Amino acid sequence: QGTIHLFRKSQRSLVGKLAHEFRLVAADRRSWKILLFGAINLICVGLLLMWCSSTNSIALTAYTYLTIFDLFSLVTCLISYWVMMKKPSPVYSFGFERFEVLAVFASTVLAQLGALFILKESAERFLEQPEIHTGRLLVGTFVALFFNLFTMLSVRNKPFAYVSEAASTSWLQEHVADLSRSICGIIPGLSSIFLPRMNPFVLIDIAGALALCVTYMLIEINNYFAVDTASAVAIALMTFGTMYPMSVYSGKVLLQTTPPHVIGQLDKLLREVSTLDGVLEVRNEHFWTLGFGTLAGSVHVRIRRDANEQMVLAHVTNRLYALVSTLTVQIFKDDWIRPTLSSVPVANSILSLSDHHVIPMPPLSATGNPGATTSTPAKASTPPPEFSFNTPGKHVSPVLLANAQARPYGLGFSHGCARYGSGLSQGLGTPGPGAAPGSRTGCASAPSRYGASARGQPRP
Amino acid sequence: MEDKYSGQALAGGGVLGPVDVPSARLTRYIVLLCFTKVLKAVGLFESYDLLKAVHLVQFIFIVQLGSAFFMVLFQKPFSSGKVVTKRQWIKIFKHAIVGCIISLLWFFGLTLCGPLRTLLLFEHSDVVVLSLLSVLFTNSGGGPAKTRGAAFFVIAVICLLLFDNDDLMAKIAEHPEGHHDSALTHVLYTIIAFLGVADHKGGVLLLVLALCCKVGFHMASRKLSVDVGGAKRLQALSHLVSVLLLCPWVIVLSLTTESKVESWSALVMSFVTVIFFVMILDFYVESICSVKIEASTCARYGSLLTFTSALLFGNFWTHPITDQLRALNKPPHHESTEHVLSGGVVVSAVFFILSANILSSPSRKGQKGTLIGYSPEGTPLYNFMGDALHQSSQSLPRFIKESLKQILEEYDSRQIFYFLCLNLAFTFVELFYGVWTNSLGLISDGFHMLFDCSALVMGLFAALMTRWKATRIFSYGYGRVEILSGFINGLFLMVIAFFVFMESVARLLDPPDIDTNMLTPVSVGGLIVNLVGICAFSHAHSHGASRGGCHSNEHSHSHHGHSHGHGHSHSDHGHGHGHSHGASGGGMNTNMRGVFLHVLADTLGSVGVIVSTIFIQQFGWLIADPLCSLFIATLIFLSVIPLLKDACQVLLLRIPPEQEKDLHSALEKVR
Repeated sequence: QGTIHLFRKSQRSLVGKLAHEFRLVAADRRSWKILLFGAINLICVGLLLMWCSSTNSIALTAYTYLTIFDLFSLVTCLISYWVMMKKPSPVYSFGFERFEVLAVFASTVLAQLGALFILKESAERFLEQPEIHTGRLLVGTFVALFFNLFTMLSVRNKPFAYVSEAASTSWLQEHVADLSRSICGIIPGLSSIFLPRMNPFVLIDIAGALALCVTYMLIEINNYFAVDTASAVAIALMTFGTMYPMSVYSGKVLLQTTPPHVIGQLDKLLREVSTLDGVLEVRNEHFWTLGFGTLAGSVHVRIRRDANEQMVLAHVTNRLYALVSTLTVQIFKDDWIRPTLSSVPVANSILSLSDHHVIPMPPLSATGNPGATTSTPAKASTPPPEFSFNTPGKHVSPVLLANAQARPYGLGFSHGCARYGSGLSQGLGTPGPGAAPGSRTGCASAPSRYGASARGQPRP
Repeated sequence: MEDKYSGQALAGGGVLGPVDVPSARLTRYIVLLCFTKVLKAVGLFESYDLLKAVHLVQFIFIVQLGSAFFMVLFQKPFSSGKVVTKRQWIKIFKHAIVGCIISLLWFFGLTLCGPLRTLLLFEHSDVVVLSLLSVLFTNSGGGPAKTRGAAFFVIAVICLLLFDNDDLMAKIAEHPEGHHDSALTHVLYTIIAFLGVADHKGGVLLLVLALCCKVGFHMASRKLSVDVGGAKRLQALSHLVSVLLLCPWVIVLSLTTESKVESWSALVMSFVTVIFFVMILDFYVESICSVKIEASTCARYGSLLTFTSALLFGNFWTHPITDQLRALNKPPHHESTEHVLSGGVVVSAVFFILSANILSSPSRKGQKGTLIGYSPEGTPLYNFMGDALHQSSQSLPRFIKESLKQILEEYDSRQIFYFLCLNLAFTFVELFYGVWTNSLGLISDGFHMLFDCSALVMGLFAALMTRWKATRIFSYGYGRVEILSGFINGLFLMVIAFFVFMESVARLLDPPDIDTNMLTPVSVGGLIVNLVGICAFSHAHSHGASRGGCHSNEHSHSHHGHSHGHGHSHSDHGHGHGHSHGASGGGMNTNMRGVFLHVLADTLGSVGVIVSTIFIQQFGWLIADPLCSLFIATLIFLSVIPLLKDACQVLLLRIPPEQEKDLHSALEKVR
């Protein structure tokens, strides 16, 4: 009983919290429109579900699920407004951007599960085909189609627009692109609409409506009731095709993967970082997308024992900041274990940068002669001190810790090295926002660039 | 057509470049090809009429005899060319046997489903079939266009199978068993009857099979034809050998059964047309065209003309006007409703033409990369190295063996795997029994079980993936896959609960009559299976819990030591990540929780069915069923919420609640 009581309590507080957040969102004017659309959507879905049961058509049901998916996408849109208002809290220290991603993932997965349900139902219907009444079939189709298109085109749904752009092409889009390539050969003006690919949601709405129209025609003309089931299967498959790439994309964001198209730029930046003065190696680097399009990352940098860690930290963050907005750099020195760690949520980094901007930077002048301070020769001499922790006066537990940490790092790094070279970077990749111009400049020019970019940096 | 060729003439006209065959000569060959195809259609329609009177084997014998006669006359295989060795004779012998079997299948299919459908199904050139097979069975199809072509082909065949209500014909072709003329046709009929399809559908399947055989046969006989000295010579010899092969059979046949033919002399003319149009003319023109024109063009025009003429003849062959045009000494067609045009046939013919057109067009390979998405800046990204990287040639049995080994290695995945096997076995027993007794309830329950199995499969896959090594892209390893799969499973259960809820509300308003006889044994079986699953997984629960406890202990130990050792500089950041993987809800990991909840929901379902059956049988409360399912839906829903909440928290990168306090105190110490 106690558990149930506890559960109730948390539930109530959850509802209260939700209501509070909802009020927060509803204060914004833009979200009224979405709420209005959501209300209309609910009415529409209710109407469609009624018609589904009156026509007994499973194809219309499959199409109705697309309308329900629209409702989810509206909710996602609301969530993205909410996310924009929220600041990172101590519990959600990375901010709330991930709610957006999770909402997109959940709604695409729900759409696919609905399609799976349709597939199962239609497998049962193939055994025993019930009769379909065509009365409201066409009306329902057009109501759903117009409502869907209207919602898609009038509501600016930022997260879904981003995902549908960034996710890989679905098979439906691929076929349409292939067809329209030959059409655009005849009428070149159409290429702006059809190429390189159409909006997947508009596409699936139109294709589903077409399938329903064909169903209606065939049932009216010849009473082929099996067409209804077939077109339900077709709509379900199209739903799968459309939603799958998007859920893969958002799922990969949720899995904290490095987006493949930035790997090239990241490698370039990391190589630059590893050639900075004082840096011995860069290891244990993790980069992942926090929300849609914002990269987060953490890097361990091992530096020479006479290097100024604040300098190195400033330079490393400066380099990586162009690409990675939430960056954590951990700096190790060679002989003592005390790792200097600084977390650089943006405001902090600017602080530290402006602090160290004034320092006359002696090591940077030394960078002018490249042979002396590249990381490779230094590396060869370094490993022994890292692992020699058997000095008597030390505490015991750090030894354990350092051992546990150091081994995998070294392995991971060499592994990574082999892979970088082998050409992941050559396949994909486009020039980044500002990384390319800086990539060839030597380290000697660093001070001026450093100052410039530090000035350019202040954004919230 | 003409546009195209004039265009080609312009392009190839005065420009220096690869020497092209002048289009005028090409057009000549194409016209010849088209003409031949039309004649072939005529021949096939004629042979269908003949086959009504003449026995199948006799018919094939006569056709082979005639074509052997003419081919030997034209080719003179014995007086010219190399001497055929003994080994080659054996090969020719085999060639003839296979050829005979294929033509037997072909003409038997013709008797089953009529000339129109035979033409549609069987007259595909090798190019089309090969690219179809390569799309269907290999990944390197050659772009979306080919996939579309293959889909059209499959749709066309399905149209013929399902939407072609050839009922009139099926009625006519109704045949009492034992009436068949020979053992061969009897065997074929029994096979088709065994498959449980109508005759013309059996014919469709037979023709598809024969088509595949034909293409394979052509591929295989290519080398032999080079050895022997030309395809024509091989054909002539093969016809001759097959005549010799069929000869004893025909003699036995004509001795044992009395012929239905009144006068053979009346049929001579039609036999000659069949032999000329179907066998000889087609063969020669095709061999000429394959030399002069590209195979793809040849295939395209050939199939287009064959199908359109087949449609035309299908409409007009049995028309009264045509009867008047025919020679008078032939019997007029009485049954004009046989194998008529139907909507399905027309649709499938259109699809066949389209697919032949698409599949025979030469594939443009390696022109462009595939669009994989957009970069954040909006520039499109293409993948150019596609195929080369994806091909990891690993044989299928080996792959299965490896993955089985991986599955059985770890406790979680082993449990899921065993339970999945049990579940699948139960499902298939149910399905087979349902098909056997023709009970729809059982079959639909089996489908439902399959639907449930998909969640198990996902859980299994996630449990496998979790152990993969970290890669460049998955730099933290695949640990989170487990959480994601738990999340998806939670959503799955939500959807199920929702549908059950909706259904039960609908039934609450209008309670239907339920036939409870069949339900009890099935639900008891399901209950037993699911109870086994629950036992296994709850064992896994305790197991996982103890192990998880150990794990977290260890973690907190190191954590502890860590914060002690150098308390000043310690920060929570990196560790926050480390924990976000290992730490999950209470005891077992999210994935296993999802699977466990799924099994629990199934068990609840079967319990509900049993309870409601008892209520209905004892007290006649029909309303018990929807009430039970309503209760179950709410129960599922409530049990899923904690799972979803935990998974969400991990996915949203929240600080794990159970470590929140420790982290705070540690941070306080640092300050």
